[in-house]
Amino acid sequence: MNLPEYFLADLPKEAALSPALLMEACVTLKRNRESYLLRRTTDQIIRTLAGVAGEWLRAENRFRKLALVHGPTMLGFSRETLARGLDGFFGELTTEKFHAWIEQEFGDARRLDQLCSTEVEQQTSRAGIAHGPELLVHIAAGNIPNPTLMSMVLGLLTRSAQFVKCARGMTLLPRLFAHSIYEYDPKLAACIEMAEWRGGNLALEEVLFAESDCVTATGSDEALAAIKTRLPHRVRFLGYGHRVSFGYVAAEVLTEHNARKVIARAADDVTAWDQLGCLSPHVIYVQSGGHSSAEEFARRLADELAKRETIEPRGGAAQEIAAYIASCRAIYELRAANSASTHVWKSNDSTAWTVVFEADARFQLSCCHRFIYVKSAAGIGDVIHNADSVRAQVSSVGIAVPEHRAGDIATQLARWGATRVCPLGQMQNPPLMWRHDGRPALGDLVTWTDWEQ
Amino acid sequence: MTSELSIFAARLREQISTWSKGLSRDSIFLDSHLLRNADIEFNGFALMLFNLQIACNEPYRKLCIARGVNPSDVSHWTQIPTLPTAAFKEFEMTCLPKEQRTRVFHSSGTIGQRPSRHFHNAESLAVYEASLWPWFQENCRLLMADCRLLSLTPPAGEVMYSSLVHMFDYARQKLGADESSFVGRVGSDGVWTMDFDAALAELTRESSKSLFVVGTAFSFVHLLDELVARNLRLKLSAGSCVLETGGYKGRSRTMPKPELHALIMDRFGITSQSIICEYGMSELSSQAYQSLKSGGTFHFPPWTRARVISPETNREVDDGQTGILSIVDLSNVFSVMAIQTGDLAMRRSDGFELLGRAAMSEPRGCSLTAA
Repeated sequence: MNLPEYFLADLPKEAALSPALLMEACVTLKRNRESYLLRRTTDQIIRTLAGVAGEWLRAENRFRKLALVHGPTMLGFSRETLARGLDGFFGELTTEKFHAWIEQEFGDARRLDQLCSTEVEQQTSRAGIAHGPELLVHIAAGNIPNPTLMSMVLGLLTRSAQFVKCARGMTLLPRLFAHSIYEYDPKLAACIEMAEWRGGNLALEEVLFAESDCVTATGSDEALAAIKTRLPHRVRFLGYGHRVSFGYVAAEVLTEHNARKVIARAADDVTAWDQLGCLSPHVIYVQSGGHSSAEEFARRLADELAKRETIEPRGGAAQEIAAYIASCRAIYELRAANSASTHVWKSNDSTAWTVVFEADARFQLSCCHRFIYVKSAAGIGDVIHNADSVRAQVSSVGIAVPEHRAGDIATQLARWGATRVCPLGQMQNPPLMWRHDGRPALGDLVTWTDWEQ
Repeated sequence: MTSELSIFAARLREQISTWSKGLSRDSIFLDSHLLRNADIEFNGFALMLFNLQIACNEPYRKLCIARGVNPSDVSHWTQIPTLPTAAFKEFEMTCLPKEQRTRVFHSSGTIGQRPSRHFHNAESLAVYEASLWPWFQENCRLLMADCRLLSLTPPAGEVMYSSLVHMFDYARQKLGADESSFVGRVGSDGVWTMDFDAALAELTRESSKSLFVVGTAFSFVHLLDELVARNLRLKLSAGSCVLETGGYKGRSRTMPKPELHALIMDRFGITSQSIICEYGMSELSSQAYQSLKSGGTFHFPPWTRARVISPETNREVDDGQTGILSIVDLSNVFSVMAIQTGDLAMRRSDGFELLGRAAMSEPRGCSLTAA
């Protein structure tokens, strides 16, 4: 790719990382933060981030072009899927949204710059300022790239020096993002470092953890638990574990006129990042009793996924994944051959997409990679009952319901434990202000100084 | 219809006996004329059995119809639709009427999952035994001299549902290894454990006979852990051998095969030449062995054919490529002979190399357990 060697992740593969090298990198990062990042105002940082994001949205941007050229082989997503994912992510990074976000989290857009007060604080003669950690370490996951880019944005906003430990083979986008920041503002980029190694390298991680003030990690619950036990007591830990999501379509929205649109939205969610993120649906529940049955919905969703494959193909699946999909398909085909309560639609000569309709409404984890279950449910109460086995892991519920019932349905889902309810079709496009797994993403990073006047 | 299957079973046993005679000469693999004849014969048997099985196995027949397979259009065994092994968990995949099912083999299965059920009667067990013995003999013949058998599994009487133990027990009878012992035990939770003291007593017993230690990979891991804990290094008598089989399935810490073999060599005092790997499952009636002469690839006997199928295209892969292992086992007379396993394999000449499990889990729910 011919990128200059600004980051450890740019070094040739043979260059060995050592604890000493990491220690040196941490010292440099902290020094650069002191010299550059702490002197920036929030407005300046936001301007840089929004500017970089705007660049990424332009078709001729060289970093975007590199991502789309190398992404399919290096990350396993088609060019079209990557382009859609990048547009969704960078489209959110606007000045207005950044300001609104900080205000949402801290009650005042200046909160990271100076002591200030909300109306309530003024009434009680108080003011406050929020500080980010000095060195923020991100242990990134390997499934989709957006969360890592988001972590980097968070760290810049809180004026933290950052070390991003990328998952194996997943450095491409964080690297390109970091280089694009470098091009725009080299001093900001000098407060970011990144490298790639197989998680669990105790010697390297020990140095990193000892130097850090806060560690964020995305991965399996087991991986998070293992990291947590190895952190020094004073280090704050933010773990984002395994989450699952699903969709719900109310009977009333499946009118002849509307059904096509709803099905297209469901397909948007299944195809986005090839269904690999925590926000991607495993199951779409379709309420029975409407104009179109769940089985009919599944058939039409299959048609739509076939169409999508021609314009936004799925990325290549590793052999064991393809074999897993083939094994799952085989058993559902056998069930379908022997009962009307199961039906399978699938791509021919590939594992590119699969739709399984099952009368059994119990929540089912999908193989992902565009393998979606469609199940029938009597209503949202029935869905909640059938998904109760994954209650503690539920992230997003994408809904397509009549407007007048949306508030009630969202309330039921909220009381049950879902941390995000969004329109179907937007499941993999959380807004910037999204509370990640139900927690304030910026708010969880900072430490406050309260001034009682 | 089962009477026709009985006739087929009898004919197949004769044919297995004929094919088996060629084994020790290796001619069946080396002579192209014989090979072609064997192919033709295999194909004839396979097509005949396919027609019988779809006639009396309803879920399988329905699957063939759903896949648009018309039996009269099937002219080669590779066109016979395969059944996923998971089907043995959900359906009664058998041609035997209920009253004839005198024996059932269960898969050991991953803990927490339902086991497969492979039904047998006296005739089908006779085919099973006729199939297992010649290939066992062929692959373990370095041992065929006087030996003692030490099985790390429980004895056959305690685990009637285990096809593996049935096989070890049958081998014991055929070998005439009357000094044999089975040192596994069945815990109250159904999990297999081991009487380590009994195992050690057998392993260290002074005897002029060589020892043939057989067991699952996880039982070897347990035993080796115990040897390490007791700081014991043994030196088995000359000619002693180990046969290990199967995966771990959540029952012990996993250990890569080379590491397991290195530990076996170290703690048992034997060479790699003395370790034999077997591949089998309750859903099959034949076994594959990893033979040293074939450079470490697995081979089934001539009455069973393995293919490696691309999960993407559903077509057979080229030599050196990977895919799902698919097996046609003629000795599965009374169930279904064409099986799609959940195992990933690499095609190697006329054999295959095992790479591991394809399926991380299986579809849950059983809305349809057949009556």
